[in-house]
Amino acid sequence: MTPLLSFLNVSKRYPDGGREIVVLDQASLEIEAGVSVGVYGARRSGKSTLLRMAAGIVLADSGSVRFDGRDMAAMTAGERSRLLRGAIAFMAAGDWRVNPGETVVEHVATSLGSEGLTMREAKRRALRILDEVGIGAAGAQDTTASLSLAESTRVMLARALAREPRLLVLDESALMPNLHDRDRFYALLRSAARERNMALLVASEEMAALQGVGVLMSIADGELCSTEELGTVVRLPGRRFASSEHPRR
Amino acid sequence: MASASPEKTKWMRGPSTPLRGALLGLLLERPGHGGDLANRLAVRLGETWRVDTNDVYRLLEQLENTGLAASRDEPKRSNQRRTHLVYHPTDSTSEALTLWMETLLPREPVRLGLQAKLSVAREQDAPRVLIALKAYERECLVLAHLVSPTDGEARSWAALCMDCTRDAVYAQLQTEVDWAARTRRRINEFLQRS
Repeated sequence: MTPLLSFLNVSKRYPDGGREIVVLDQASLEIEAGVSVGVYGARRSGKSTLLRMAAGIVLADSGSVRFDGRDMAAMTAGERSRLLRGAIAFMAAGDWRVNPGETVVEHVATSLGSEGLTMREAKRRALRILDEVGIGAAGAQDTTASLSLAESTRVMLARALAREPRLLVLDESALMPNLHDRDRFYALLRSAARERNMALLVASEEMAALQGVGVLMSIADGELCSTEELGTVVRLPGRRFASSEHPRR
Repeated sequence: MASASPEKTKWMRGPSTPLRGALLGLLLERPGHGGDLANRLAVRLGETWRVDTNDVYRLLEQLENTGLAASRDEPKRSNQRRTHLVYHPTDSTSEALTLWMETLLPREPVRLGLQAKLSVAREQDAPRVLIALKAYERECLVLAHLVSPTDGEARSWAALCMDCTRDAVYAQLQTEVDWAARTRRRINEFLQRS
């Protein structure tokens, strides 16, 4: 079966003064439909680059990133842009932009502009999704400018879900003011993904934020480490390191 | 990579394996009597380990029984008329140390085992140490993955305590993953420079 998203030996370098920094080094991963993947990494570990590549915002220097079997590098900018407005949703902290006087329901409904819906239909869908993320009919009429950080993150999630994406990429936008809000948000996210059979790719600087994901990875200096690979490791004293001939645990 | 028959890895059984491995590394650096080796171990491993001199004598005896160390009565430096047992490496010591560097560690004392390896690792062991660190990083990820997630609502005192415990596990494992990544980076940077 073709994975929904795949990275094969993907590398990315950025110039830094007179030299180059490797931000992603031969990264390989596969995400099936409906699977959630969490990437833990410190700042400047390469996780944002990984996520932006998964969303088609940044292209690889080498290796291939495929969505639904299609090579992102072979797509036109317009095709990638359409993908990002449809099958892939991308959420990051800096993406919260509001218009003066705009209500929450309008904010979500206007993001559905290219879906061919009337404004009334778009608002109806927006209200349904807002209710799912814990913002009721009254809250939907609040202005976006009046929202707390926790509320605005949930509205961002509603906006992402409204397009019914197959993959949601979340770059630690949920920098919640407290642990309670963080845990609630991630529980909500997991539940929304489960109900839709939507794949999740979430990165965080806090490992605890990634609890409950199907596959947990870490990234440091652009190098990925995954729980998946441990399947080939036998941990008995006296045994040797990972080898493909060892049985899976 | 050297072959590892069960006979060659027999000494790696039991919770004292990291100390036995570290002792082999120290013997290869230079021979020493039990007290000297215990002091060198304590200096090398720091306060995290409680190195008991009697334990060191016992472990050296075990290593001698398996052919990985050899003792000889030698005159004391302070008093030439008196002797003490000085332990030396054997022809098998270096290979044993290499095998230990390549061997996966049991789950519980894994970080201490890694520290023991790092404390006596030779530059030629760098690739093995890097693999061990990566394996440890994965191990920590697997442990984190095993923790059942919170539902985001600690409605009772018991649930709150459970969440706090869960948080402690994540905090500890996150620190371990960071340490493993940082150590790998430092080793790689060193290898690039040299």
